[in-house]
Amino acid sequence: MGAYRKQIEIVGDILDAADELTIDNNGASITKLIQKANISHSRISKILTNLVSQGLLEQVDSERACRYKISMSGRDFLKEYKRFSEFTDNFGLTI
Amino acid sequence: MEFLLENILNLIGFIVGIIIGVFAYIGYKNTGSPVLFRLTIAFFAIGIGFGIIWIGYVIDDVYLNEGKINRGLQALGLGIQTIGYFFIAFSHTIKSFFPKSRYFRSVGILPLFALSAMNIEHIIRSFSFILLVYGAIETFVSFLEGKQKGALAVGTGLALLAFGEFVAWYSLVFPESILYSASILMKISGLVSLFLPISRLPLRKIKFDDLDDDLDDGR
Repeated sequence: MGAYRKQIEIVGDILDAADELTIDNNGASITKLIQKANISHSRISKILTNLVSQGLLEQVDSERACRYKISMSGRDFLKEYKRFSEFTDNFGLTI
Repeated sequence: MEFLLENILNLIGFIVGIIIGVFAYIGYKNTGSPVLFRLTIAFFAIGIGFGIIWIGYVIDDVYLNEGKINRGLQALGLGIQTIGYFFIAFSHTIKSFFPKSRYFRSVGILPLFALSAMNIEHIIRSFSFILLVYGAIETFVSFLEGKQKGALAVGTGLALLAFGEFVAWYSLVFPESILYSASILMKISGLVSLFLPISRLPLRKIKFDDLDDDLDDGR
């Protein structure tokens, strides 16, 4: 059975996926984010909307479908998330 | 000698507790994680608890010169420290026993307090001991699962604090022995071990103006 993920871990996984998939300015497709972050389509849509409204992700206009790339503050958040994940790991806890 | 060691122990405890507390607080502000919030409370409480006892020793050293700390002040400091240990243990309780149920999360802490002892200070110390042992075991289990070296250091730190507390009890039976000094040295080693993995993480602050409560939902 897979481990239960908290909301913040899901957000971290999505941002991490977006960071890895944002090679150029085109951003990553929802399908790629779903695969990489291991999350359902219905759930990711709401989270992506939230992350875009908070400025952690940027929506890229594309002819075919919505694409997302990580913003500067998204990268900062991801860096902090990873740093404090390590901090809580030291206590045997998950962030 | 014991008086000096107590001073050093409580000063180190105060500094370590506050530094880790500040670090956890920065983490909480930046990520909104409830685990980091609990660790913030835990380490601020531990730091303040040690700080109160240290102040008690300083007051005695500078003004009273009785060679012993005010018992009320010591009980207060120990009580606040125990709150800190409780929050560390509580975080593990949530993770281990009640991964999903909000109801059980709220009532699951009660068995930890089903204890009795001779007087208030010993009751507080016995709580601390049990909470520290519990926290150490859970951290060691996490180390075995994840092989994170930091977890080994933190687990060892909590275990040394617990063992120091245990040896301090024994020193009541043999009051003239070296046991009490040994217990203080164990606790100092425990605090240093607790601080080691945190000292390797960069201490800096990043502020996020745009983050709101949306990230906090679904903890």
